[in-house]
Amino acid sequence: MLKLILQRLGLAVFTLFTVCVLVFGVTEALPGDVCTAFLGRDAQGTRLENCRQQRNLDQPALQRFADWGTGVLQGDLGTSLKRDKSINDLVATRMRNTAVLGFGAAMIGIPLAIILGVMAALRRDKPADMMISGTSIFAMTIPEFVTATVLIFIFSIQLQWFPAVTTVRHNAPIADLIPNIILPMITLALVMMAHILRMIRSAMIDVMASDFVQMARLKGVPYWHIVFLHALPSAMLPAINIIALTIAWLLGGVVIIEQVFNYPGIGTLMIRAIYDRDLPLVQAIALILAAVYVLCNLLADLSSLALNPRLRTAR
Amino acid sequence: MKHLITSVVMASTLISGAATAGTFRLAHDVGYAGAESLDPISPNRFFYANQMLYSRLVRQDENGQPSPDLATEWSASADAKTWTFELRKGVKFHDGSDLDSADIKYTLERIKDPEIDSPVAAVLGVIDSVNIINDHKFEIKLSAPHADLPLLLMDYRVRMIAEGSGDTITKTGNGTGPFILEELDPEGTTVLKANPNYWEGTPAADALEIIGIPDSQARVQAVMAGQIDFEDSILAQQSKLFSNNPQFQLQSIATGEWRGLVFRTDMAPLDNAKVRKALRLAVDRDEMLKLVSGEGAGTVTCDHPVWSGDQYRTNIDCSQNIAEAKKLLKEAGFENGIEVTISAADNEPEWIRMIEVYQQQAAKAGITVKLNMVPSDGYWSDVWMKHPAVATRWSQRPADQILNEGFRSTATWNETFFKNTDFDNALDAARSELNFDKRKGLYADLQNTLWEEGGALIPYHLNQTRVLRSNVTGLAPVENFSIRWHLVNAE
Repeated sequence: MLKLILQRLGLAVFTLFTVCVLVFGVTEALPGDVCTAFLGRDAQGTRLENCRQQRNLDQPALQRFADWGTGVLQGDLGTSLKRDKSINDLVATRMRNTAVLGFGAAMIGIPLAIILGVMAALRRDKPADMMISGTSIFAMTIPEFVTATVLIFIFSIQLQWFPAVTTVRHNAPIADLIPNIILPMITLALVMMAHILRMIRSAMIDVMASDFVQMARLKGVPYWHIVFLHALPSAMLPAINIIALTIAWLLGGVVIIEQVFNYPGIGTLMIRAIYDRDLPLVQAIALILAAVYVLCNLLADLSSLALNPRLRTAR
Repeated sequence: MKHLITSVVMASTLISGAATAGTFRLAHDVGYAGAESLDPISPNRFFYANQMLYSRLVRQDENGQPSPDLATEWSASADAKTWTFELRKGVKFHDGSDLDSADIKYTLERIKDPEIDSPVAAVLGVIDSVNIINDHKFEIKLSAPHADLPLLLMDYRVRMIAEGSGDTITKTGNGTGPFILEELDPEGTTVLKANPNYWEGTPAADALEIIGIPDSQARVQAVMAGQIDFEDSILAQQSKLFSNNPQFQLQSIATGEWRGLVFRTDMAPLDNAKVRKALRLAVDRDEMLKLVSGEGAGTVTCDHPVWSGDQYRTNIDCSQNIAEAKKLLKEAGFENGIEVTISAADNEPEWIRMIEVYQQQAAKAGITVKLNMVPSDGYWSDVWMKHPAVATRWSQRPADQILNEGFRSTATWNETFFKNTDFDNALDAARSELNFDKRKGLYADLQNTLWEEGGALIPYHLNQTRVLRSNVTGLAPVENFSIRWHLVNAE
């Protein structure tokens, strides 16, 4: 058991190291360097020299990788070129905002997906199932920016209930963010629900047909007891990985949604960093997003281990 | 649950809600990522706020000509090296202090201070010293004759601040403009309130709000949802969202911005002026404008950089002439046509489209245009001003400035490597000519020279499309620098 956990941890660390090498290597492989990319047409004379000096660009690449890597290990992500501020400070509040939005979406989406999935499974092939399955698949197939635009059109432009774009600053108190996250939250919930819902539905159908459920029925256990206390926990197992990936996606991959709603999260910051050719910031965010994915997968692995005794036996 | 929903909805309605009477709201793109500075000469200048907080000595009227702002009158000595200005009387800074000549001397000298190293210093490079004559009269001595000093002073960054306020100006915004700083928050909402003592009268709006929205699409959504009243520049394609909708007004405004192609005049075969002229005669500019940027999205230009709103602009006939182009190529010894390879990246979406259209048009004259796609990273350092033919972009500048910055033999950004001593001498002559009509004639000759011999293909200057909500009043369809912000209101 301990060996398994250590193995997973080792793998996670290795993945992160590979990501570090890749992110650094790709930046090195770009034509020009961080300074010419950032300065553009002004990349000449003293301005270019100053920039290169500040970034130690005259040193060999390996040396710079070692310096950058040591900084990252010590929790120092470096300094943004355009913003001239510590990247740690820039990223912290944005990460918080993304987490608030992701958490909100997960709070609506995941329980709703589980409940609807169970209902669809119990009413298999009946109109209720068809409606739930059909609608969720339909919601998933529409790209999120279309859903977002339609929601903005209805609720912001026509009804004027919610703001169309976020206009509060990135470090505003969470309470000020609340009215702004409702539409993005709904959009995200609509997009993510289908995966989990379909997974729960098929797992639930299998479990309801299994021997132990038959047995419980024959022994006269009340129907809803069987469904929620016996069948659902087993049906949850296959869904855990999907849920973990969904959470990782919410914490890192909702770039488009954040952009459409002008939401001050990590996704918008990344887009701006790319747009400004602020490579140190791009590197840092890429690393953070990779770490989020690795961490979520690690947690999913570990919780599957905890929930399923069969996985725990060492081979 | 029902109560919760109702209260959330109500709360959000309050936040996004209808405009307070007399508050005009606009957005800015947070281009300096929150480091926006109220110092007018900082490289991080807060574009909108600074226009409303401070005044210039001279500003442009609706025809682009210098008109009085803080200076009421000015005159030049016969050699155009000494300029005398009368300062407006009774003007007060936001903190209540009086504006006098000492403030002007301080501001202009600060702009030139090598310690501050402001990008504006180069614009006022010709100023040698400022002498105070009395509280409301001063003279500016130049190191070389310059007949268009008022045009230089019209630069949107040359804004007057109080004597000795250089260290605090970033935070106070203490100017003489129509609005007073209430709260500075570039990433959130910056609030300005009306200046009751503004010399031109009390502003129409009680307050202005400048909201930080980096994404241009999000700004368009914000206008549609009524979160802002004005968006200065939208894409031509987006104008369909607003046209025929009574809730919005659209304005189309000519600007001096352009996307173009550049041929190096120092590399064979393009070192031959006849070949370059042939390359330009092969273009059908109206068609190119329509295909590349959209109908009505620009004003045709004949390969000189002076835009249609500039008083020195001269109009040339540069319609497509395939026969003449073929003839010139033959004279230059290219009877069987020539091949040109243009390097471009997708930094600007128009570039590739422009080259593709040019490919088709030039083929008729026997010119084979090849496109060499290069990475957008490193474009300005590795490709531009290195490859024999490239794509370029420029923002708006007044005639004298753009001709000197982009076409003088010694200019750092002389992208066509155009070396012509007569041209350089004519630039100096135009600068020192005090008679306006003669000066205009000299600038016209310079533009004609570029059309005959230059290496740049500037097919048109772009128009900007501006959208206003229908309740906005007092905002004339003029370029941004000429807007009279004290007249603007959202009722």
